[in-house]
This record gives sequence, structure tokens and C-alpha cells, in this order.
Amino acid sequence: MRTLTYLLLLTGISFSTIASENEQAASWLARLSQSLQKLNFSTSFVVVKNNHAEPYHWFRGVNEEGMELEILSLLNGPRRDVLRKGGVVSYIEPEVPPYSVLSSQISGPIPAILSNNIEDLADSYNFISVGRSRVLGRPAQLVRIVSKDKHRFGHWLWLDQETGLLLKLALITRKGQLLEQVQFTHLDITDTPSESLLQLHSAELPQVVELPRHHQEDVLDWRVNWLPKGFKQLNANRHRINVTNQAVEFMLFSDGLVEFSVYVSQSADKQRAVEYVMDGATVVLNQVVNGVEVSVVGKIPSSTAKAIADSVAIKQVVTP
Amino acid sequence: MSESKFETVSSLVDNYQANDAMFDEMIKDKHLSDTWDRYHLIGDVMRDDAPASIQLDLSSQIADAIANEPTVLAPKASTSTTQNFKAKVVQLIKPVGQIAIAASAAGLMVLGVQQNVAENEVLAPSQVVQTIPLGGIADPVSFNYQQNNRVSQKQAYIEQQRRFQALLSDHQQQIKLNSVRAEDAPENKAEDLPK
Repeated sequence: MRTLTYLLLLTGISFSTIASENEQAASWLARLSQSLQKLNFSTSFVVVKNNHAEPYHWFRGVNEEGMELEILSLLNGPRRDVLRKGGVVSYIEPEVPPYSVLSSQISGPIPAILSNNIEDLADSYNFISVGRSRVLGRPAQLVRIVSKDKHRFGHWLWLDQETGLLLKLALITRKGQLLEQVQFTHLDITDTPSESLLQLHSAELPQVVELPRHHQEDVLDWRVNWLPKGFKQLNANRHRINVTNQAVEFMLFSDGLVEFSVYVSQSADKQRAVEYVMDGATVVLNQVVNGVEVSVVGKIPSSTAKAIADSVAIKQVVTP
Repeated sequence: MSESKFETVSSLVDNYQANDAMFDEMIKDKHLSDTWDRYHLIGDVMRDDAPASIQLDLSSQIADAIANEPTVLAPKASTSTTQNFKAKVVQLIKPVGQIAIAASAAGLMVLGVQQNVAENEVLAPSQVVQTIPLGGIADPVSFNYQQNNRVSQKQAYIEQQRRFQALLSDHQQQIKLNSVRAEDAPENKAEDLPK
């Protein structure tokens, strides 16, 4: 009875406000996406996770011909740069020779969806406009991207009230625990793209790697039987892992905001209890059941990763 | 006031008979002690020992000086045996109380942990990677025993960390390779592609 009254009160009084707050949040996110695409800016941010901080420099802009240019560099340790010229993204990393892929978004600490159509997330997430605060010396609007189910983390975004650009991003569990955050430390908005971006325009990017674009899931003898709602398979293949040179069968899933990978391989061990580590918000979970090693990696809660790993089933090979 | 008493004072001044009782009596009696002062002063003057200016009442000046001394408010260090004993008793009692509290807190923790385990049974993985059993393992007792077990456990741990690191970087690599969204593919500006 009490619950019913509470529900009635809640729906009666705050339904209209919630609706308007959601609309507000959606328009804030739309503005963020517009600003990221249109504005010329150079900015620095720090990714804080597991008690260590990674500083980055990020330039983005549009040149006179309308081509989007982007540079993202890690400032500590070995050089890791991501360069983008329109639809070509180049990765310069210490482990592998430089390579380019055909893509109009770079993969880094800032989810690529933020500069695309964020409404794509509306099936799995609610957008809530929370309140104002001060970030990077500017008045900021806090918008939360909250999962509709309990299988995902929430993203909190602090957006510049003047330009709509991102000032801070945090990954928060459903219980409110902070896992990882991106804090901007400097933001410079200019009329023309910065000098580095104009240099990038005249630079030659590494060779584009040819990727088999067809899915190979038919080749794989297993499938994932349970996924949180909204996740779709992006790819499936067989490859070798760089460091360990281990042959794995692989599937990649995404809900638009976060991705996770599932790896399946033969194991020398018959059974191994589930083990996992957290790198900020990214979980790496591993278990061996009946001689089959299953690993799940992604920015998802460990309970979700465990459920996904448990749902991996080897297909019954039917020979006609 | 008998004449004999003045004689006694006189004999005391002259160090004839030293008698504590006589001294006490003289100090208590104001008239006698004044007499004692006077006799000494007479003696000093006769021996030419008297100071240039005679301060006739030094004792009252000293009394005034003492009265003018600032009062010391700091507590005096008490070293009486009873207090020492009391302190010891208190010290003995305190640790017992602390142990009792610690023990009960530990009890609560054990209860709490057990309850947590019961609740989280579905969620088997622990927050930290735990490859070595918590309780430790029984070491074989032998002179030839080499700590192979420990070494292999450590190796297993390193191996596991390496595997996790490899998976993590491969995951990030795969995201980069697969970041082409289906709807983006046709929009790629073909003329810009370095071939």
C-alpha cells in the first residue's frame, strides 16, 4: 500500500519534471556532439584510474575544405598518437608498426559516440540533467547517462555551459563508486584549426590496413547465449594475441557507448576458477571450464562479465 | 614576664646554654624575641658591627616580599606512593578492556564476512585476483625440500598478469580495428585515402 502511494506520488508530481529534465539532457548531449564536430579546439586532459594518471593532448578542428582533423597524444611514457584526417585514422604505437584504418572516429578515452548521434543510446540508457557546478573554472552542466538495467556502468558528463564541450567525464557504478575519470585541465577554443592540425593535413599517413569486413561467426564453433539488452555483435574472427602469441577465437560486442570482447581458446588446464582484475572501469575476466578458456574484457561490471562468460556455449557439431 | 626569662635570652645570645626548649619558648613569645633582636643589636653596636643604616624590622620586610611573590598556579608534581599505585592499577585494567573490544569487533567482522559470502555466492569473483589460497598451504618438512610450490605459484601469478595484460591490449586493439561503423563506411572520402 505504501509503495503504491509512493508510486502515485512519484508519478503524479515528478513525471512532468523528469520528462523535461530528460529532454534537457538530450539537448545538452546533442549540443556536445555539434560542438565536438564544428569547433576548433586544443585541449589537455588527464585520465585517472587505479591511482595513476595518464595525461593527453587533444586537438580537433575542421579546415577550410571542411575536412575534420584530429590528434590525440599520450604525453607520458612511449609515444602513442592517434591521427585522423577525415575518414582515415592512424595509430602510432610502440608495440606495432604504424597503421591506418578507415574510420571517421578515433578510439581513445573519450567515447566516440559523444561526437555522433547520442540518441542511438536511448534504447539502453536514460539521459538525466542533474545540476550545475564549476569545472575547469567554468560553469558546467552535469548530465548523467544512466543504464536502464543493472548490467552497465553510468557515465557522468560535465559540459561547458558556454560551448557545450566536455569538461569532465566519470564512470560510476550503480552504487555511486567512481571507477575512472577524465578531467580536462585546459581548453582553448579558436577560430581556425591549430598549427599542429594544419601540419597533419599535409602529412602522409601510414598505409591503410585491409580488414576482412565480413563476419566470420559461422566459422566459430561457439556462441554467446546471453547479452545485456542493446549489445550487438560488431565482429567475430580468429587471431593471435600479440604478446602471448596465443591463438584465440574472438567476438566483439558494443552497445554504442561501451564495447566488450569475448575470447575463447583451448586450455591445458581442465578447470580454473574465475579470476578477474579491474583496470579502472575495464574488467578482464578469465575462467576455464571443461578445458575451454573463456575471457571477457570490457568496461562492464564484473557480474555482467561473469554472466556473459558463463553463457558461452560450444555448438553441437552436427554432421549430416 | 619574669626576669629569669630575660636572663635566659641573654645567656642564649651569649651562647651560654643552647637548649631547644628555651629557643622555642623565646620564638613563640613576641616580647622575648624582640628582646633577642634588641640584645643582638646592642651587641653589634658595642662590637662596631652595626650597618650604616639600621633596618630595625627585617622580618616584616621579608614577610611583605613573600606576600608580593606571584602565585605559581602550575600543579605540583605529586610523587606520593598511593597515586603511583592507582596509576598502575588503571594501566592494568585498560588493555584488558581494549582486548575485549577488539575481540568483539573481530567477532562482528567474522560474522559480517560470512554473511557477505553467503549473499555474494552468485558473484564468485573476488575484487582482487587471488591465486594463492588465503590460509596458506602446509609446507612439506624435509631437508631436500625446495620451495618449488611457492615458485610455481609466483610464476603462475606472473603468467596470469601477463595474460590479462595481453587480453587488455588486444581488446583495445580490436576496438580500434573495428571502429568503422557500418553507416560510416560509404561516407569515407575515397580521394583522401593514402594508398
